Amino acid sequence: MNDAAVAETALLEISGLSKFYSDIPVLDRVDLTVHSGEIVMIIGPSGAGKSTLLRCVNRIEQPSEGEIVVAGTRMTADRRGGRRIVERPAELAVKRRKIGMVFQRFNLFAHLSALDNVAVGPHRVLGMPLAEARARASDLLARVQLAEHAYKKPAQLSGGQQQRVAIARALAMRPVLMLFDEPTSALDPELVGEVLAVIRELAAEGMTMLVVTHEMQFAREIGTRIVLMDAGRIVESGKPAAFFQNPSHERSREFLRRVGERGA
Amino acid sequence: MDGVDWGVMWYAIPYMAKGALITLEISALAMIAGCVIGGICGLLSLSDVTVVKAVVRSYVYFVRGTPALVQVFLVYFALPVIGINIPPFWGGVVALAFNAGGFIAEIVRAGLQSIDAGQTEAALAIGMTTRQRLLFVLLPQSLRRITPPLTNELITLVKGSSLLSAISIFELTRSTQVIIAQKFTPFELYALLAVFYLLIISPLSRLSEYVEAKLS
Repeated sequence: MNDAAVAETALLEISGLSKFYSDIPVLDRVDLTVHSGEIVMIIGPSGAGKSTLLRCVNRIEQPSEGEIVVAGTRMTADRRGGRRIVERPAELAVKRRKIGMVFQRFNLFAHLSALDNVAVGPHRVLGMPLAEARARASDLLARVQLAEHAYKKPAQLSGGQQQRVAIARALAMRPVLMLFDEPTSALDPELVGEVLAVIRELAAEGMTMLVVTHEMQFAREIGTRIVLMDAGRIVESGKPAAFFQNPSHERSREFLRRVGERGA
Repeated sequence: MDGVDWGVMWYAIPYMAKGALITLEISALAMIAGCVIGGICGLLSLSDVTVVKAVVRSYVYFVRGTPALVQVFLVYFALPVIGINIPPFWGGVVALAFNAGGFIAEIVRAGLQSIDAGQTEAALAIGMTTRQRLLFVLLPQSLRRITPPLTNELITLVKGSSLLSAISIFELTRSTQVIIAQKFTPFELYALLAVFYLLIISPLSRLSEYVEAKLS
Protein backbone atom coordinates (compact mmCIF):
# COMPACT_ATOMS: atom_id res chain seq x y z
CA MET A 1 0.00 0.00 0.00
CA ASN A 2 1.39 3.40 -0.81
CA ASP A 3 1.34 6.30 1.64
CA ALA A 4 -1.56 8.14 0.03
CA ALA A 5 -3.87 5.14 0.31
CA VAL A 6 -2.98 4.66 3.99
CA ALA A 7 -3.59 8.32 4.77
CA GLU A 8 -7.06 8.04 3.30
CA THR A 9 -8.21 5.00 5.22
CA ALA A 10 -6.36 5.35 8.53
CA LEU A 11 -7.17 7.89 11.21
CA LEU A 12 -3.77 7.44 12.81
CA GLU A 13 -0.74 6.24 10.93
CA ILE A 14 2.53 5.79 12.80
CA SER A 15 5.49 4.60 10.78
CA GLY A 16 9.06 3.95 11.81
CA LEU A 17 8.65 5.93 15.01
CA SER A 18 11.75 5.99 17.20
CA LYS A 19 12.61 8.04 20.23
CA PHE A 20 16.04 8.19 21.78
CA TYR A 21 17.07 9.62 25.11
CA SER A 22 20.81 10.25 24.71
CA ASP A 23 21.19 7.32 22.32
CA ILE A 24 19.06 4.94 24.38
CA PRO A 25 16.01 3.96 22.34
CA VAL A 26 12.73 4.26 24.22
CA LEU A 27 10.75 3.66 21.06
CA ASP A 28 12.30 1.50 18.42
CA ARG A 29 10.83 1.74 14.90
CA VAL A 30 7.18 1.49 15.91
CA ASP A 31 4.56 1.05 13.18
CA LEU A 32 0.89 1.32 14.09
CA THR A 33 -2.18 2.04 12.02
CA VAL A 34 -5.46 2.87 13.75
CA HIS A 35 -8.73 3.17 11.87
CA SER A 36 -11.62 5.38 12.77
CA GLY A 37 -13.65 3.92 15.67
CA GLU A 38 -10.93 1.58 16.83
CA ILE A 39 -10.11 1.34 20.51
CA VAL A 40 -6.53 0.30 20.86
CA MET A 41 -5.43 -0.83 24.30
CA ILE A 42 -1.69 -0.54 24.78
CA ILE A 43 -0.37 -2.81 27.49
CA GLY A 44 3.05 -3.99 28.59
CA PRO A 45 5.60 -3.75 31.38
CA SER A 46 6.67 -0.36 32.72
CA GLY A 47 9.45 1.18 30.68
CA ALA A 48 8.12 -0.44 27.51
CA GLY A 49 7.57 2.96 25.90
CA LYS A 50 3.76 2.98 26.06
CA SER A 51 3.42 6.50 27.45
CA THR A 52 6.19 7.82 25.25
CA LEU A 53 4.37 6.48 22.20
CA LEU A 54 1.22 8.34 23.23
CA ARG A 55 3.12 11.52 24.00
CA CYS A 56 4.83 11.44 20.63
CA VAL A 57 1.47 11.27 18.86
CA ASN A 58 0.53 14.76 20.04
CA ARG A 59 4.15 15.91 20.14
CA ILE A 60 4.39 16.54 23.86
CA GLU A 61 7.52 14.48 23.29
CA GLN A 62 9.51 15.05 20.15
CA PRO A 63 10.01 11.91 18.06
CA SER A 64 13.58 11.25 16.97
CA GLU A 65 12.64 9.44 13.77
CA GLY A 66 9.57 8.37 11.88
CA GLU A 67 6.28 9.88 10.84
CA ILE A 68 2.90 10.33 12.48
CA VAL A 69 -0.20 11.31 10.51
CA VAL A 70 -3.52 12.00 12.22
CA ALA A 71 -6.63 12.44 10.07
CA GLY A 72 -4.59 13.59 7.14
CA THR A 73 -2.45 16.02 9.14
CA ARG A 74 1.22 15.23 9.44
CA MET A 75 1.95 15.63 13.16
CA THR A 76 5.68 15.22 12.74
CA ALA A 77 7.73 18.14 11.49
CA ASP A 78 8.28 18.37 7.74
CA ARG A 79 11.57 17.27 6.25
CA ARG A 80 13.60 19.10 3.74
CA GLY A 81 16.66 17.35 2.40
CA GLY A 82 16.53 14.72 5.14
CA ARG A 83 16.50 17.27 7.98
CA ARG A 84 13.48 18.13 10.04
CA ILE A 85 12.28 21.68 9.71
CA VAL A 86 10.88 22.33 13.16
CA GLU A 87 7.60 24.19 12.86
CA ARG A 88 6.77 27.36 14.77
CA PRO A 89 5.23 26.56 18.19
CA ALA A 90 1.95 28.17 17.13
CA GLU A 91 1.72 25.85 14.10
CA LEU A 92 2.29 22.81 16.27
CA ALA A 93 -0.34 24.09 18.72
CA VAL A 94 -2.94 24.12 15.91
CA LYS A 95 -2.06 20.53 14.96
CA ARG A 96 -2.59 19.38 18.55
CA ARG A 97 -6.15 20.69 18.81
CA LYS A 98 -7.84 17.71 17.27
CA ILE A 99 -6.12 15.20 19.54
CA GLY A 100 -7.45 14.93 23.08
CA MET A 101 -5.24 13.70 25.88
CA VAL A 102 -5.99 12.48 29.38
CA PHE A 103 -3.12 12.14 31.82
CA GLN A 104 -2.42 9.79 34.68
CA ARG A 105 -2.32 12.66 37.17
CA PHE A 106 -5.29 14.60 35.72
CA ASN A 107 -3.28 17.83 35.37
CA LEU A 108 -6.26 20.11 35.83
CA PHE A 109 -5.62 23.85 35.92
CA ALA A 110 -5.61 24.41 39.68
CA HIS A 111 -6.89 28.01 39.62
CA LEU A 112 -9.95 27.32 37.46
CA SER A 113 -13.30 25.78 38.39
CA ALA A 114 -14.27 22.46 36.83
CA LEU A 115 -16.43 24.38 34.37
CA ASP A 116 -13.66 26.73 33.31
CA ASN A 117 -11.14 23.91 33.06
CA VAL A 118 -13.38 22.55 30.32
CA ALA A 119 -14.32 25.94 28.82
CA VAL A 120 -10.82 27.41 28.66
CA GLY A 121 -9.86 25.42 25.54
CA PRO A 122 -12.86 26.39 23.37
CA HIS A 123 -12.77 29.97 24.69
CA ARG A 124 -9.06 30.76 24.61
CA VAL A 125 -7.79 28.38 21.94
CA LEU A 126 -10.75 28.26 19.53
CA GLY A 127 -11.86 31.83 20.26
CA MET A 128 -15.41 30.85 21.14
CA PRO A 129 -17.36 33.45 23.15
CA LEU A 130 -17.15 32.69 26.87
CA ALA A 131 -20.89 32.06 27.33
CA GLU A 132 -20.92 29.60 24.46
CA ALA A 133 -17.75 27.87 25.69
CA ARG A 134 -19.26 27.54 29.18
CA ALA A 135 -22.47 26.13 27.73
CA ARG A 136 -20.44 23.49 25.90
CA ALA A 137 -18.47 22.81 29.08
CA SER A 138 -21.64 22.52 31.09
CA ASP A 139 -23.06 19.92 28.68
CA LEU A 140 -19.86 17.92 28.86
CA LEU A 141 -19.74 18.04 32.66
CA ALA A 142 -23.32 16.75 32.71
CA ARG A 143 -22.22 13.94 30.43
CA VAL A 144 -19.52 12.86 32.90
CA GLN A 145 -22.01 13.17 35.81
CA LEU A 146 -20.41 16.27 37.30
CA ALA A 147 -23.05 18.94 36.66
CA GLU A 148 -23.40 19.71 40.36
CA HIS A 149 -19.63 20.12 40.79
CA ALA A 150 -19.16 22.65 37.98
CA TYR A 151 -18.10 25.49 40.24
CA LYS A 152 -15.69 23.56 42.41
CA LYS A 153 -11.95 23.93 42.12
CA PRO A 154 -9.89 20.80 41.34
CA ALA A 155 -8.64 20.62 44.95
CA GLN A 156 -12.25 20.19 46.12
CA LEU A 157 -12.83 17.19 43.86
CA SER A 158 -11.89 13.54 44.32
CA GLY A 159 -9.38 11.95 41.98
CA GLY A 160 -12.12 10.23 40.03
CA GLN A 161 -14.03 13.48 39.65
CA GLN A 162 -10.88 15.32 38.58
CA GLN A 163 -10.17 12.70 35.95
CA ARG A 164 -13.70 13.00 34.58
CA VAL A 165 -13.26 16.79 34.36
CA ALA A 166 -10.01 16.13 32.50
CA ILE A 167 -11.84 13.90 30.03
CA ALA A 168 -14.49 16.60 29.52
CA ARG A 169 -11.72 19.18 29.01
CA ALA A 170 -10.22 17.06 26.24
CA LEU A 171 -13.61 16.42 24.63
CA ALA A 172 -14.43 20.13 24.61
CA MET A 173 -11.95 20.56 21.76
CA ARG A 174 -14.02 18.06 19.70
CA PRO A 175 -11.05 15.78 19.05
CA VAL A 176 -11.00 13.10 16.37
CA LEU A 177 -8.67 10.97 18.49
CA MET A 178 -8.39 10.53 22.25
CA LEU A 179 -5.21 9.49 24.03
CA PHE A 180 -5.50 8.07 27.54
CA ASP A 181 -2.25 7.70 29.44
CA GLU A 182 -2.95 5.31 32.34
CA PRO A 183 -6.12 7.21 33.23
CA THR A 184 -6.86 5.16 36.36
CA SER A 185 -3.37 4.45 37.70
CA ALA A 186 -3.37 7.36 40.16
CA LEU A 187 -6.85 6.63 41.52
CA ASP A 188 -7.98 4.91 44.69
CA PRO A 189 -9.42 1.52 43.73
CA GLU A 190 -13.00 2.53 44.54
CA LEU A 191 -12.79 5.49 42.12
CA VAL A 192 -11.53 3.54 39.12
CA GLY A 193 -15.00 2.39 38.08
CA GLU A 194 -16.48 5.84 37.51
CA VAL A 195 -13.66 6.83 35.17
CA LEU A 196 -13.78 3.58 33.25
CA ALA A 197 -17.55 4.06 32.87
CA VAL A 198 -16.96 7.37 31.09
CA ILE A 199 -14.38 5.84 28.78
CA ARG A 200 -16.74 2.93 28.11
CA GLU A 201 -19.44 5.40 27.11
CA LEU A 202 -17.08 7.18 24.75
CA ALA A 203 -16.22 3.83 23.22
CA ALA A 204 -19.90 3.12 22.66
CA GLU A 205 -20.20 6.44 20.83
CA GLY A 206 -17.48 5.39 18.44
CA MET A 207 -14.64 7.64 19.59
CA THR A 208 -11.26 6.50 18.31
CA MET A 209 -8.98 5.92 21.26
CA LEU A 210 -5.49 4.93 22.20
CA VAL A 211 -5.46 3.79 25.81
CA VAL A 212 -2.39 2.91 27.84
CA THR A 213 -3.67 0.84 30.73
CA HIS A 214 -2.85 -1.70 33.37
CA GLU A 215 -6.53 -2.66 33.76
CA MET A 216 -6.51 -5.97 31.89
CA GLN A 217 -10.20 -6.73 32.36
CA PHE A 218 -11.08 -3.32 31.01
CA ALA A 219 -8.71 -3.66 28.07
CA ARG A 220 -10.24 -6.98 27.20
CA GLU A 221 -13.79 -5.76 27.52
CA ILE A 222 -13.57 -2.39 25.74
CA GLY A 223 -10.62 -2.75 23.38
CA THR A 224 -11.13 -3.61 19.75
CA ARG A 225 -7.44 -4.34 19.61
CA ILE A 226 -4.71 -5.12 22.11
CA VAL A 227 -1.17 -3.95 21.47
CA LEU A 228 1.55 -5.35 23.68
CA MET A 229 4.73 -3.32 23.89
CA ASP A 230 8.08 -4.27 25.32
CA ALA A 231 11.47 -2.56 25.14
CA GLY A 232 10.21 0.15 22.80
CA ARG A 233 8.66 -2.21 20.28
CA ILE A 234 5.25 -3.58 19.49
CA VAL A 235 5.53 -7.27 20.29
CA GLU A 236 2.03 -8.33 19.40
CA SER A 237 -1.15 -6.76 18.13
CA GLY A 238 -4.45 -8.58 17.90
CA LYS A 239 -8.12 -8.95 18.80
CA PRO A 240 -8.69 -9.05 22.58
CA ALA A 241 -10.22 -12.52 22.74
CA ALA A 242 -7.46 -14.11 20.70
CA PHE A 243 -4.75 -12.14 22.45
CA PHE A 244 -5.79 -13.01 25.99
CA GLN A 245 -6.66 -16.64 25.26
CA ASN A 246 -3.83 -17.53 23.00
CA PRO A 247 -1.07 -14.95 22.70
CA SER A 248 1.29 -15.91 19.93
CA HIS A 249 4.51 -14.50 21.40
CA GLU A 250 6.42 -15.84 24.37
CA ARG A 251 6.94 -12.28 25.63
CA SER A 252 3.15 -11.74 25.66
CA ARG A 253 2.55 -14.99 27.51
CA GLU A 254 5.16 -14.03 30.08
CA PHE A 255 3.57 -10.60 30.59
CA LEU A 256 0.07 -12.04 31.00
CA ARG A 257 1.37 -14.62 33.45
CA ARG A 258 2.97 -11.88 35.50
CA VAL A 259 -0.22 -9.78 35.66
CA GLY A 260 -2.26 -12.93 36.36
CA GLU A 261 -4.42 -12.79 33.25
CA ARG A 262 -3.27 -15.91 31.46
CA GLY A 263 -6.35 -17.89 30.45
CA ALA A 264 -8.51 -15.90 32.86
CA MET B 1 29.75 65.47 76.61
CA ASP B 2 26.77 67.53 75.59
CA GLY B 3 23.24 66.30 76.18
CA VAL B 4 21.05 65.02 73.45
CA ASP B 5 19.63 67.90 71.38
CA TRP B 6 16.27 66.87 70.03
CA GLY B 7 15.52 70.47 69.10
CA VAL B 8 17.69 70.09 66.00
CA MET B 9 14.95 67.87 64.56
CA TRP B 10 12.71 70.84 63.92
CA TYR B 11 15.46 72.39 61.88
CA ALA B 12 16.17 69.16 60.00
CA ILE B 13 12.69 67.91 59.21
CA PRO B 14 11.91 70.24 56.26
CA TYR B 15 15.23 69.40 54.57
CA MET B 16 14.80 65.71 55.22
CA ALA B 17 11.24 65.79 53.90
CA LYS B 18 12.60 67.13 50.61
CA GLY B 19 15.13 64.28 50.58
CA ALA B 20 12.39 61.81 51.39
CA LEU B 21 10.44 63.04 48.40
CA ILE B 22 13.41 62.34 46.12
CA THR B 23 13.78 58.89 47.72
CA LEU B 24 10.12 58.21 47.02
CA GLU B 25 10.36 59.41 43.42
CA ILE B 26 13.48 57.43 42.64
CA SER B 27 12.13 54.32 44.38
CA ALA B 28 8.79 54.46 42.60
CA LEU B 29 10.39 54.89 39.17
CA ALA B 30 12.95 52.16 39.87
CA MET B 31 10.20 49.82 41.07
CA ILE B 32 8.28 50.22 37.85
CA ALA B 33 11.37 49.83 35.68
CA GLY B 34 12.67 46.98 37.84
CA CYS B 35 9.38 45.10 37.57
CA VAL B 36 9.36 45.53 33.79
CA ILE B 37 12.99 44.38 33.48
CA GLY B 38 12.48 41.56 35.98
CA GLY B 39 9.22 40.42 34.42
CA ILE B 40 10.67 40.28 30.93
CA CYS B 41 13.92 38.63 32.05
CA GLY B 42 11.99 36.15 34.20
CA LEU B 43 9.96 35.07 31.18
CA LEU B 44 13.03 35.02 28.94
CA SER B 45 14.93 32.81 31.38
CA LEU B 46 12.40 30.07 30.51
CA SER B 47 13.01 30.56 26.79
CA ASP B 48 14.02 27.65 24.61
CA VAL B 49 16.65 29.81 22.94
CA THR B 50 19.97 29.02 24.60
CA VAL B 51 21.57 32.39 23.85
CA VAL B 52 18.67 34.35 25.35
CA LYS B 53 18.73 32.17 28.44
CA ALA B 54 22.51 32.59 28.79
CA VAL B 55 22.29 36.39 28.60
CA VAL B 56 19.59 36.51 31.29
CA ARG B 57 21.48 34.05 33.50
CA SER B 58 24.65 36.17 33.26
CA TYR B 59 22.72 39.32 34.17
CA VAL B 60 21.17 37.64 37.21
CA TYR B 61 24.54 36.11 38.14
CA PHE B 62 26.16 39.54 38.04
CA VAL B 63 23.45 41.31 40.03
CA ARG B 64 23.38 38.64 42.71
CA GLY B 65 27.13 38.29 42.93
CA THR B 66 28.18 41.93 43.30
CA PRO B 67 27.39 44.46 46.05
CA ALA B 68 24.61 46.91 45.22
CA LEU B 69 26.97 49.78 46.05
CA VAL B 70 29.43 48.58 43.43
CA GLN B 71 26.58 48.39 40.90
CA VAL B 72 25.59 51.96 41.76
CA PHE B 73 29.14 53.20 41.15
CA LEU B 74 29.42 51.19 37.95
CA VAL B 75 26.24 52.62 36.48
CA TYR B 76 27.12 56.12 37.63
CA PHE B 77 30.61 56.06 36.13
CA ALA B 78 29.97 53.69 33.23
CA LEU B 79 27.09 55.55 31.60
CA PRO B 80 29.16 58.66 30.74
CA VAL B 81 31.96 56.43 29.41
CA ILE B 82 29.60 54.84 26.89
CA GLY B 83 28.35 58.27 25.94
CA ILE B 84 25.15 58.42 27.96
CA ASN B 85 24.99 61.61 29.97
CA ILE B 86 21.96 61.69 32.19
CA PRO B 87 21.39 63.62 35.43
CA PRO B 88 22.44 61.79 38.64
CA PHE B 89 18.76 61.38 39.55
CA TRP B 90 18.16 59.20 36.49
CA GLY B 91 21.48 57.44 36.98
CA GLY B 92 20.17 56.46 40.42
CA VAL B 93 16.92 55.18 38.93
CA VAL B 94 18.83 53.10 36.38
CA ALA B 95 21.16 51.65 39.02
CA LEU B 96 18.34 50.63 41.37
CA ALA B 97 16.19 49.25 38.54
CA PHE B 98 19.17 47.29 37.20
CA ASN B 99 19.71 45.75 40.63
CA ALA B 100 16.05 45.03 41.40
CA GLY B 101 15.43 43.70 37.88
CA GLY B 102 17.92 40.89 38.42
CA PHE B 103 16.32 39.78 41.65
CA ILE B 104 12.80 40.13 40.31
CA ALA B 105 13.76 38.03 37.27
CA GLU B 106 14.70 35.22 39.66
CA ILE B 107 11.47 35.64 41.61
CA VAL B 108 9.38 35.48 38.43
CA ARG B 109 11.31 32.50 37.07
CA ALA B 110 10.96 30.57 40.33
CA GLY B 111 7.26 31.45 40.52
CA LEU B 112 6.56 30.20 37.00
CA GLN B 113 8.62 27.06 37.49
CA SER B 114 6.82 26.23 40.72
CA ILE B 115 3.66 25.41 38.76
CA ASP B 116 3.40 21.66 38.22
CA ALA B 117 4.75 20.68 34.79
CA GLY B 118 1.67 18.53 34.23
CA GLN B 119 -0.41 21.66 33.75
CA THR B 120 1.93 22.79 31.01
CA GLU B 121 1.45 19.43 29.29
CA ALA B 122 -2.31 19.73 29.65
CA ALA B 123 -2.18 23.23 28.16
CA LEU B 124 -0.12 21.94 25.24
CA ALA B 125 -2.51 19.04 24.74
CA ILE B 126 -5.52 21.33 24.22
CA GLY B 127 -3.52 23.31 21.69
CA MET B 128 -2.54 26.36 23.72
CA THR B 129 0.29 28.47 22.34
CA THR B 130 3.17 29.52 24.59
CA ARG B 131 1.55 32.93 25.09
CA GLN B 132 -1.84 31.44 26.00
CA ARG B 133 -0.22 29.01 28.41
CA LEU B 134 1.59 31.85 30.16
CA LEU B 135 -1.40 34.18 30.29
CA PHE B 136 -4.16 31.75 31.19
CA VAL B 137 -2.41 28.97 33.10
CA LEU B 138 0.99 29.86 34.53
CA LEU B 139 0.80 33.57 35.39
CA PRO B 140 -2.56 33.56 37.22
CA GLN B 141 -1.25 30.81 39.50
CA SER B 142 2.29 32.04 39.99
CA LEU B 143 1.20 35.61 40.77
CA ARG B 144 0.13 34.41 44.20
CA ARG B 145 3.53 32.84 44.82
CA ILE B 146 5.43 35.75 43.32
CA THR B 147 3.77 38.47 45.42
CA PRO B 148 5.39 37.90 48.85
CA PRO B 149 9.01 37.77 47.62
CA LEU B 150 8.28 40.60 45.18
CA THR B 151 7.10 42.99 47.91
CA ASN B 152 10.15 42.01 49.92
CA GLU B 153 12.28 42.97 46.98
CA LEU B 154 10.51 46.32 46.63
CA ILE B 155 11.17 47.06 50.32
CA THR B 156 14.82 46.16 49.76
CA LEU B 157 14.84 48.58 46.84
CA VAL B 158 13.61 51.50 48.96
CA LYS B 159 16.24 50.79 51.59
CA GLY B 160 18.86 50.33 48.90
CA SER B 161 18.14 53.82 47.59
CA SER B 162 20.18 55.11 50.54
CA LEU B 163 23.25 53.88 48.64
CA LEU B 164 22.63 56.65 46.14
CA SER B 165 23.92 59.06 48.78
CA ALA B 166 27.33 57.84 47.65
CA ILE B 167 26.85 59.38 44.20
CA SER B 168 25.65 62.69 45.69
CA ILE B 169 21.99 62.38 44.93
CA PHE B 170 20.23 64.42 47.58
CA GLU B 171 17.84 61.73 48.62
CA LEU B 172 16.88 61.12 52.22
CA THR B 173 20.16 59.76 53.57
CA ARG B 174 22.36 62.27 51.76
CA SER B 175 20.18 65.20 52.91
CA THR B 176 20.48 64.00 56.47
CA GLN B 177 24.25 63.66 56.24
CA VAL B 178 24.51 67.24 55.03
CA ILE B 179 22.60 68.56 58.03
CA ILE B 180 24.66 66.39 60.37
CA ALA B 181 27.78 67.97 58.90
CA GLN B 182 26.38 71.39 59.72
CA LYS B 183 24.96 70.69 63.17
CA PHE B 184 27.20 67.88 64.51
CA THR B 185 24.22 65.94 65.88
CA PRO B 186 24.68 62.50 64.30
CA PHE B 187 22.78 60.48 66.91
CA GLU B 188 19.62 62.60 66.84
CA LEU B 189 19.47 62.87 63.09
CA TYR B 190 20.33 59.23 62.26
CA ALA B 191 17.58 58.25 64.70
CA LEU B 192 15.24 60.57 62.88
CA LEU B 193 16.43 59.16 59.56
CA ALA B 194 15.48 55.65 60.72
CA VAL B 195 12.01 56.94 61.60
CA PHE B 196 11.67 58.47 58.12
CA TYR B 197 12.52 55.13 56.46
CA LEU B 198 10.10 53.30 58.73
CA LEU B 199 7.35 55.72 57.72
CA ILE B 200 8.09 55.16 54.04
CA ILE B 201 8.36 51.38 54.28
CA SER B 202 5.56 50.49 56.67
CA PRO B 203 2.79 51.29 54.15
CA LEU B 204 4.61 48.96 51.74
CA SER B 205 4.66 46.19 54.34
CA ARG B 206 0.98 46.78 55.04
CA LEU B 207 0.22 46.68 51.33
CA SER B 208 2.07 43.38 50.93
CA GLU B 209 0.18 41.87 53.87
CA TYR B 210 -3.08 43.08 52.34
CA VAL B 211 -2.28 41.68 48.89
CA GLU B 212 -1.18 38.38 50.40
CA ALA B 213 -4.39 38.08 52.39
CA LYS B 214 -6.39 39.01 49.31
CA LEU B 215 -4.70 36.38 47.15
CA SER B 216 -4.79 33.45 49.52
